[in-house]
Amino acid sequence: MNESIKAKNLTAQLQYRAAGNPPSTHPNSAISNAFPGLEMDFRNVWRRILEGIQLHEATNFVMTVDDAADPELRILETGWRLISVVDSEVMGDVTGPLIAGGPSVILPDTTFGDTKMPLEWSNALAEVLHNHAGQKVRCKFQSVTDASKVLEFDLRIRHFFEHVVSRGENVKQAVISKELAPPGELTQSLCSPWQSDYRECACFYWAATRPDYVNVEPGPNGTSIGQNWMQKDRNPNGPKVYLPDDWMDPGLVDYRDLYRDWEKSLRFVVEGVDEKPPEK
Amino acid sequence: MTTLAELRILPPFAIARLGSSAEPMDNYEMNLTTPIGWRQLADATTFVVDPQSCEIHAKKRPFVVKFRDENGKIRPVAPFLEVWARLDRSDELVPLDLNLLLKLGKEPRALKWSVVTGNIKAFRRTGDPADKVIASTGIFSDHQVKPLLGQCKNFFEQKSIPLGSVQYIKPNEEFPEVRLRFTPAAGRVYGPPLESGKPDGNLAGEVYDPTKGHWKGYKDAADPKTDDLLKMRRATNPGNVYAGDDYDDSHRQSWGYLDDECDGIVEVELEVGGSRLSAFARIAAGPPTFAPDSMPMRTVHDEIEQAMLGPNFDSDVTEKEMDEVREIVRRALETVRLMNTGQMNKPSKQRGVGMARMDFLDVNRALEPIVDPAVADSLAIRSRHERLLIALDSGSLAWFARVLREHDQVGDLSTDGRRRMPALMRGADARYLALTRRQVSKIKAAAEFILRTPAGENEK
Repeated sequence: MNESIKAKNLTAQLQYRAAGNPPSTHPNSAISNAFPGLEMDFRNVWRRILEGIQLHEATNFVMTVDDAADPELRILETGWRLISVVDSEVMGDVTGPLIAGGPSVILPDTTFGDTKMPLEWSNALAEVLHNHAGQKVRCKFQSVTDASKVLEFDLRIRHFFEHVVSRGENVKQAVISKELAPPGELTQSLCSPWQSDYRECACFYWAATRPDYVNVEPGPNGTSIGQNWMQKDRNPNGPKVYLPDDWMDPGLVDYRDLYRDWEKSLRFVVEGVDEKPPEK
Repeated sequence: MTTLAELRILPPFAIARLGSSAEPMDNYEMNLTTPIGWRQLADATTFVVDPQSCEIHAKKRPFVVKFRDENGKIRPVAPFLEVWARLDRSDELVPLDLNLLLKLGKEPRALKWSVVTGNIKAFRRTGDPADKVIASTGIFSDHQVKPLLGQCKNFFEQKSIPLGSVQYIKPNEEFPEVRLRFTPAAGRVYGPPLESGKPDGNLAGEVYDPTKGHWKGYKDAADPKTDDLLKMRRATNPGNVYAGDDYDDSHRQSWGYLDDECDGIVEVELEVGGSRLSAFARIAAGPPTFAPDSMPMRTVHDEIEQAMLGPNFDSDVTEKEMDEVREIVRRALETVRLMNTGQMNKPSKQRGVGMARMDFLDVNRALEPIVDPAVADSLAIRSRHERLLIALDSGSLAWFARVLREHDQVGDLSTDGRRRMPALMRGADARYLALTRRQVSKIKAAAEFILRTPAGENEK
């Protein structure tokens, strides 16, 4: 254990790994490009960042207005979305070609036909949070049914970190504020049960936590050959044929395997190579 | 007389990892021994809690780092949380231990702990507060294991889900610090009984009463032709991510399954000098890191750091920042070498490929590979990242900094836009992953620093 840490050195406290704790206990081992996430869906931490309203964890839609909030805000829970805070836009364009080689055009989403997409909160609000935490800020909302309707309110942007009063002094701590997320809220939008995520999501990009391509080696033509981490009955010395993800493929671990005995179905991978399958 | 100004719990946020073994995971280090090699796992100081005395002793070293016990069960990662104190008129935090407690005239039992954790996944979907699963220890000062029994109004009488346990470790002469351990649950599935009356082999417990709540049978609003559009906007994104049957092309009907993941708050209180001081930390329990010698490239720590320090890195670049930038590039390498990038690059409407499919399904973007398939093979991509990492100090970082995706470019699905870095990966807003703005800013600052510094002076 360290002898001491400067109370104001909050980054040292964020980086602190308690005696006896493995590296996987630290938030730097937890993925944050959550869609919806593994250890938690960290997008939830932003839901209550504006006092009085609760936002959708993944979009800019207003989910509800707090009971204690100004009654004038109540309209926002009838189908409104946040479009800017101070001067920071929280939506962006989606553009690209409709036909291969074609020009880039606006691409509306195929569900709602929205022509702009909500940007993830952490980056979209970074500047605003840094400059205005604790202050009231001008927030612009747009009706999701009539884009010409816009409302503006001044809402306090909450402190991200807990503040306490100690000996008359306002002290900022390194812990995420209590008012941002009550117990259970950081994990609420994850798969239920969590095992589904390993079957459901095409989340191969969380490879350090949920590997995708294992037992890889150069093939005869110099390109890689290897196996899918979800393949059953594989071993590092077996045939190197990658089965693409498909929940209908009996060669891949399925929901039932995961619900009943995920510990047997999912294997640790060290140096890119499978551990031996558990025997018992 | 010693008095305290403040208490804090460190770490402020601890992650536990599920596993059904009775033997918690040992501590280990991830050592870098070669510039581009795998991190080497090595044993590290490990605390073992004696079930009788409730005290800890250090495990004898050396030992082999093992993620399973002798029966093949996964060992849960069970973090310790330490109480630190700031003395009056001091600007330093020190561990709260037996010696400091003695100076304060306090016994260890003067500490009052309470822990509340929750699993509200069903509530997030149904909106019914009676679907919240909440465990609360109440206040305790003793050292016995306190189970976190997840209670829910929509459960059968006397039924609960074990969400793990906590234990206030008894300080002793060798390990005098005040600490609590959070042990997560086994990672099991719970739910309602089958209508047939037969046991549901997927479940560790039949707890949910479908005559009280509506989690069983629930369907996310998912079809713009038939469903209320506002309800659709309220659904999770991604939606339909729960166990169930495909009711039709758009809807999934829930089986009412729940699990034992959770997150929550650990709180400690101490009355000293007439003042009641308190502190809290956050905990969460998720699945194990199945590639324990690798790290993800954008993490919860990166988000918290950005919230703490802002999106712009505007200080002088030092060796510390250079190390942090090396670490980001290393994590990118560690990610791509466990991804089948050739497969992820393929354009297809079927599952089993990557973002090109999502671009088509979500916004009708032309179905094309993201990069030239000739260079998308995993070994080629890995080699490119290895070269970048090796040559980081001699200017290759400038190239990397130029091709990084900015946070407001995530929706640029042009050929060039999709090839920005990180490529082939999804971000929290469903489109292409961008690093945090602070990570990007730090990489750019480091690249400029390297270009400004005469060759040889910045080599580590």
